[in-house]
Amino acid sequence: MPEGIYCNKRPITTEEELKALLSDTRGTKYYEEMLSLEVDREKLWATIQKTCKSRTKTWLDICARCGLCADSCFLYLVNDCKPEQVPSYKIQSTLGEIIRRKGDVDNAFMRHAMEVAWSQCTCCNRCAMYCPHGIDMGVMMGYTRGLLYSQGFVPWELKIGAGMHRVYRAQMDVTTEDWVETCEWMAEEQQDDWPGLEIPVDKEDADIMYTCNAREPKHYPEDLAEAAILFHIAGENWTVPSEGWEQTSLSMFAGDWEACKLQVENVYAAIERLKPKRVIGTECGHAHRATVIEGPFWAGRPDGQPPAPYIHYVQWVAEALREGKLKIDPAKRIKQTVTYQDSCNYIRNWGLAETAREILSYLVEPGYLVEMTPNKEHNYCCGGGGGFNGIGKFRPQRNKALLTKRDQILATGAKLVIAPCHNCWDAIRDLEEEYHIHIDWSFLKPLLLKMVIVPEHLKPKDEDDGDEE
Amino acid sequence: MYAFLTGPMLWLSFAICILGCAWRAYMYVKGLNWQLDRVAYGHKPDLAVKGALKSIFHWLIPFASCSWRAKPVFATAFFLLHIGLVIVPIFLYAHVMIVAERFGVSWPTMPDGLADILTILAVLAGLFILLRRFGLSEVRIITTRQDLGIMAISLAPLVTGFVAAHQSGDGNGWLLAHIITGEIWLIAVPFTKLSHAVLFFCSRAQIGIDFGTKRGGQRGSGIVW
Repeated sequence: MPEGIYCNKRPITTEEELKALLSDTRGTKYYEEMLSLEVDREKLWATIQKTCKSRTKTWLDICARCGLCADSCFLYLVNDCKPEQVPSYKIQSTLGEIIRRKGDVDNAFMRHAMEVAWSQCTCCNRCAMYCPHGIDMGVMMGYTRGLLYSQGFVPWELKIGAGMHRVYRAQMDVTTEDWVETCEWMAEEQQDDWPGLEIPVDKEDADIMYTCNAREPKHYPEDLAEAAILFHIAGENWTVPSEGWEQTSLSMFAGDWEACKLQVENVYAAIERLKPKRVIGTECGHAHRATVIEGPFWAGRPDGQPPAPYIHYVQWVAEALREGKLKIDPAKRIKQTVTYQDSCNYIRNWGLAETAREILSYLVEPGYLVEMTPNKEHNYCCGGGGGFNGIGKFRPQRNKALLTKRDQILATGAKLVIAPCHNCWDAIRDLEEEYHIHIDWSFLKPLLLKMVIVPEHLKPKDEDDGDEE
Repeated sequence: MYAFLTGPMLWLSFAICILGCAWRAYMYVKGLNWQLDRVAYGHKPDLAVKGALKSIFHWLIPFASCSWRAKPVFATAFFLLHIGLVIVPIFLYAHVMIVAERFGVSWPTMPDGLADILTILAVLAGLFILLRRFGLSEVRIITTRQDLGIMAISLAPLVTGFVAAHQSGDGNGWLLAHIITGEIWLIAVPFTKLSHAVLFFCSRAQIGIDFGTKRGGQRGSGIVW
């Protein structure tokens, strides 16, 4: 059977196909079919010849095989320094081998490569900082994922995730109507506490266009309400687009570059339609990576810039605190041992380490912040990045990977981990559930709301007060 | 034989090495693709130059990168080997004299005693790196025959040159061996992993531009290598 009903080389493009694949619980049949999925060797080699250019070829060729990358990889360290987990080995035995064999690889090879690409690398890019030649194994593993995806060798959840983006332009089945209704509902819910609070949809020429992660409207709409309240307190002129509000990209984790392009173009179209002064994304690392850092290139923008300045939520928070748009009540600052989880995607790969520390200087009473070791640009992945969190087939490997972060957190003695990234937040929640180390974890928004000073004119006037006046 | 090896063959070896390296660098730059690499080449030139130079500098200077500092023993061996292979031959009195005799140009040289010590240290460092390949499981698993081959090609001119300089008597066997192995080394550079002599700079500049212009080089303290 060259192509399965569930497992095949075709991307998901309709709601029906999506529902059919979802109905295959845990991908049981999908993975069964994968056992006999044929490799289109000619297409694989043709794709490589077209897309594997001097940078990647040179990386593969001049790797000095010095092994300095080994200790840079948390998956190598946490898996008892198994030599098969050395980054150089992982890429040379997958992508390197496919190229050496000119694409002449079989089904078993591709299934093994899939396991390596999605369970032995989170594309955290830490190895790139430790390689004398500057070889970025994370970037190459991303490229390998693309090759595997194009041949149908992709974890079930990510085939679905990429399909979601193709069908709904969101990582979950949140339609435009669902989204707009959620915005209206959240604004309405807050009226008692925050009279006049709005979540303006499709307002043109606003100062800020806000984009988020589909999980927020789908599973925790209060996150959207919190964002709205904070913009309200800060007096921002903001809006959300009815279309193009979803900033994430499971297609990036899947290696479905076409879906990546479709998704990010949807956001850029909203920017061009509403012409905001700038765009602010939610507390998500990979969403920022997909839409701000890599997105311009998928969308064919040679300057590498989105259509308007596009910043991460931590940049807005730091600015709002610095400029006094948000003021913190000193009495309410965090007075317990706290640590910060540096997200690979916007810290190592976008340079916001110091911006995050600036926020902490406002929120945490001096002396209570204990940094992880290592930290900032050198921090380890949370253990669930690059799609690892969401893949059921590789759950045991993911749980093992969480031990790195668990031990880093334990070493700080912190009881609270601030994690302004959905993936990190999930991973830390899962490690607490798995290993019970008695910690709390939080995004910035709920912490800010607990500590922010609310200006008098924004407080609800209760009716008695009104009468007296 | 001697005249041929020190005449046309030497010219040919240098020509192959230099032109080959230039070709490798040219092909590298030509194959860069902004959309496939997802790096906006040509944009933000100031950040690009800063990022590229920073990226090269931190790795060219001993212990200037986090990675070198994390592995001090390997880093020491690495730099001793490269000093012996690159610095010593250029400033060796005997080499400079040959150039001076033929072309009438010369430059400062290093004392022979220092050259001897650096050569011995480079050979020992090379042997240490070879042993490390077999001793450490994380290096053994990625070691290929080419890695062993290029180490042999690189150490051969050092060993033969050292013996040739110190042998007594007037047999020129070791000197011939030194010239032949030196020429093999020069010719091998563009065709093997030794091409890192030039591709190291290309690759480091590229990743420096990537991090410098796209992945945060303009924010905070920039990328910390």
